[in-house]
Amino acid sequence: MRANFIFSEVWIGLRRNLTMTIAVIVTVAVGMALLGVGLMINSQVSKLTGFWSDKVELSVYLCVKGSPFDACKNKGAVTQEEKGNLEQTIRGLPEVESVKFETQAEAYKNWQNTENNTLLLSVTKVEDMPESFRVKLKDPEKATVVASNLKGQPGVSNVVNERDLLQSVFGFMDTLRNMALGIAILMVFAATLLIGNTVRLSAYNRRRETGIMRLVGASNIYIQLPFVMEGLIAGLIGGVLSGVLLILVKIFIFEEIQTYMVAPLGWDTVAGVITGTMAIGVLICVFASFVTLRRYLRV
Amino acid sequence: MIHFDNVTKVYANQNRPALDHVSVDVDKGEFVFLVGPSGSGKSTFLRLVLKEERPNSGSIHVAGKDLAKLSNFKVPHLRRRIGCVFQDFRLLPNKNVYENVAFALEVIGKPRRFIRKVVPEVIELVGLEGKAHRMPEELSGGEQQRVAMARAFVNRPMILLADEPTGNIDPATSIGIMKVLDRINRTGTTVLMATHDAAIVDSMRKRVVELEDGKIVRDQSRGVYGQAY
Repeated sequence: MRANFIFSEVWIGLRRNLTMTIAVIVTVAVGMALLGVGLMINSQVSKLTGFWSDKVELSVYLCVKGSPFDACKNKGAVTQEEKGNLEQTIRGLPEVESVKFETQAEAYKNWQNTENNTLLLSVTKVEDMPESFRVKLKDPEKATVVASNLKGQPGVSNVVNERDLLQSVFGFMDTLRNMALGIAILMVFAATLLIGNTVRLSAYNRRRETGIMRLVGASNIYIQLPFVMEGLIAGLIGGVLSGVLLILVKIFIFEEIQTYMVAPLGWDTVAGVITGTMAIGVLICVFASFVTLRRYLRV
Repeated sequence: MIHFDNVTKVYANQNRPALDHVSVDVDKGEFVFLVGPSGSGKSTFLRLVLKEERPNSGSIHVAGKDLAKLSNFKVPHLRRRIGCVFQDFRLLPNKNVYENVAFALEVIGKPRRFIRKVVPEVIELVGLEGKAHRMPEELSGGEQQRVAMARAFVNRPMILLADEPTGNIDPATSIGIMKVLDRINRTGTTVLMATHDAAIVDSMRKRVVELEDGKIVRDQSRGVYGQAY
């Protein structure tokens, strides 16, 4: 096998079909970048889910003086007795794993740490903060049942299932991921057709050469390799570009939203995604070249 | 060297067979003319030798190999032992004479040192010394056909197939082409030439196999072209 013969043939082929080659490269780059973004969102979501599934809990807020919740109206703050009953009830539920009591002081401290609004900070007093039971469940799926169970209990102002809050975030990210993957699939389809067309043009342009190669007994691999290599090189360049796009996405999008993400996406994941998408891009290109060759190049 | 036994070839969508129960033996080193009108099956015969087509029935042996048992994978190796020349030369227009001949060796992976040695020898054998760096368009038809013969012969094939090699060339130049074919034949290469050219067949006095409607109607050593068509 003479490498420089193959490479000069490949170079000639790519140059002759320059516009088609560029189309292939751009399509592969965009398609693979979208696929990569989809995979990155996916791993971000699963990281977040993993992070939150340990922490997700029901917050059973108790009435304070002047609470606006219907359940507390005209009743004043929760009494010591009600608190004791409630704790017993919660502990008695079979779904509950553990219960923690958060005092007004603790709630105030936690809230201070997360709230940035200085005006709100200055007017809010410790007594305004509700006491709460933080209930950790054995099975987070049971949260709704337990929540509705506890809602009517005396002294309870409100029950918040933190999972519901997260669900809306996850739902949004799922939609984003599905869109990215959907477009990626379309792009991969377009790339396959484009490569097929490029190979067809290339086979037509080189029909004299391939005809003679066949006659003088060049082996099939020698005849086909330049075409497959054209696909491979276009796929590789497209893959490298998609890698660059993914790095940009990581820097400008994922780094930006990292502040809101308790479990940030690491560079190791990005590297894995880039390697994976590049490999898929190259494989698709080689596969498409090979399939079209079978049709347009009789050997 | 070439052995056809009761070979029939019918192309798809055609009723009449292109070759009809043909049996021929061509020995090593023979020079054979394949004559007959257009459509008589000459080209089909050559394509079957190259295993570009498969017969519907009968068996073909080329260079000691049963083509029916030859896997597709090994067909290129068969073709390396067979040189081919055509009416339309089939040269690569963007390569010069040397490169055209060298191409045949490059694509079967011969080492460069070997190519540099044998290509000039073959160019000299076909009488094109000093023209190695000309482009095909700068050459006459006869010279282009010599390049094609150099390319067909450069790998020292056991068999040379020529499909109307003088079809695009004037009679005077054709004599030169035939001399080259004769020279190639004298190196021990079996030559099988399909032709319409009565004058050439008559002047060479070689074995003549005549086909008509896919059947062999004459097989004559030291023959002539025969009746005018």
